[in-house]
Amino acid sequence: MILECHGLGRSFGGTEAVADVSFALAEGESLALIGPNGAGKSTTLGMLTTALRPDRGRATVAGADIAAQAAQVRASLGVLFQEPALDERLSPRQTLRLHAAMHALPRHARAAAVEKALDWAGLREQADRPLRGFSGGMKRRLELARALMHGPRLLVLDEPTLGLDPQGRLDLWARIDGLRAEGMAVLMTTHAMAEAERCDRIGIIDKGRLLAIGTRAELALAHGGHAHADLEQVFLTLTGRALRDAFAGPPARVLRLPRRSA
Amino acid sequence: MSALSLSVTEALWRRELTRYLRDPSQIFGGLSRTVLWLIILGFGLGATLREIEGYSYAQYVLPGVALLNVLFASLQSGFQLVYDRQHGLLRQILISPAPSLSVTLGKILGGATVAVAQGLIPIAFAPVVGVQISLLALAGAMAVLFAMGVGLTGLGVLIALRRGSIDNFGSISNGVIQPLYFLSGSIFPLKGIVGGIGFLDIPPALRDQLRMHGINAIGGGWVVELPGWLDMLVRLNPMTYSLDLLRWCLLDFHQLQLATNLAVTAGFGLVTTVLAIRALDRARQR
Repeated sequence: MILECHGLGRSFGGTEAVADVSFALAEGESLALIGPNGAGKSTTLGMLTTALRPDRGRATVAGADIAAQAAQVRASLGVLFQEPALDERLSPRQTLRLHAAMHALPRHARAAAVEKALDWAGLREQADRPLRGFSGGMKRRLELARALMHGPRLLVLDEPTLGLDPQGRLDLWARIDGLRAEGMAVLMTTHAMAEAERCDRIGIIDKGRLLAIGTRAELALAHGGHAHADLEQVFLTLTGRALRDAFAGPPARVLRLPRRSA
Repeated sequence: MSALSLSVTEALWRRELTRYLRDPSQIFGGLSRTVLWLIILGFGLGATLREIEGYSYAQYVLPGVALLNVLFASLQSGFQLVYDRQHGLLRQILISPAPSLSVTLGKILGGATVAVAQGLIPIAFAPVVGVQISLLALAGAMAVLFAMGVGLTGLGVLIALRRGSIDNFGSISNGVIQPLYFLSGSIFPLKGIVGGIGFLDIPPALRDQLRMHGINAIGGGWVVELPGWLDMLVRLNPMTYSLDLLRWCLLDFHQLQLATNLAVTAGFGLVTTVLAIRALDRARQR
């Protein structure tokens, strides 16, 4: 297994963002986590990417413990955040060079890795222009190329197509499908049912708990009455129709700094 | 990856420089502060307050204006970490295997380098206020500016990591930069002989001769001394000692023990750097 987590949990003050999440992901497998706003998806990804320390449970990525062996875990991951994590004053080439240094790519291999990533992202012509002014699709391609540069074993995508136009979404999915075909394991969150259905398995998460996990057909059969039940119907059956705006706190907290570092 | 990666530090240092060079507003800010504080205030207030310890008012405030630019550049670089952590590239850096020590050092050394560049802007105006600076003095001043930049960028990183958000830079300017600036002896001396209105100018040759005898002002000068509480606040501010050191480099004039100035300047940089490294390491996996 490339990823295993058992009873993972995290609270923020009195709010339990993730209560008890357990699942595993095999090498080359793809899993989509879907859930309402504030369900605990981003907090779960935060813990698995070592940005957040779990209060409870444990998880391993490529055999390394996320809490005790964070550096090894980080080396095995390629991550795309919900919003672009870029410095708009840098160019694509500078962004990729910086990433190569952060992941300790050997100096002699860096230039070739940067050129390869630029080609993969289709940004060779814009390689030395500051990112300010790039389209959302161009930034996403750059971020995906960057996430792959150090040869990760697991790709973690937090709502990767958010804010992209249909062309940008199609292009990104073509790239993700290509990576999956090459055996890359993918863990993603999304609100788009059609995107979730492209993955091997789907996990439905709500109020910090993994309510169901399986293939699309398994979920449809178990919670929709028949194998061809609509995924959205299954989702609503499990999570209800009530609006969840009030629970939208925890994902925002993933990106917040603590008020005290001690 | 080992605990220290020079490659990571260098990459982040370069990033700070690239950001600076692609941000003309920061350079404009450094220039405008120079014009306002050194030229307008220096010559304007200098028309009334003729001399401080034998230096014109514009000459006296020159090192303070360099400090002001260093304060803005360094703390801005440190505080920028809040936005960078929430919405920028730093999120990606923090989930990389790069060691916290190297990441923090890259940030602080980059901020300090930008601080030197900003601090040199008023120093470039030194001839305008009648100060000639030798290459040796310039090298010394740059070293002091760098040390100040290290300490203040480290302080900025620390404050940024302790705050959830920084809504506007104005509150930081009023709450941190201005107290550090005004309580450093930048615009008034701790104690000194001030020459006032209506007294005769001292010819330069005579001034030099008097200085050789330890006399910095004559004829109508009076001794000024800060009130005790203000003197204490000024002495509690580490920037007071760094500024005194810088003033010694630029004007060959100091009011505090040079050894104390050196120790406080180096110590402040070391302490804030160590604390910033620890704070970043803790904030990395919260």
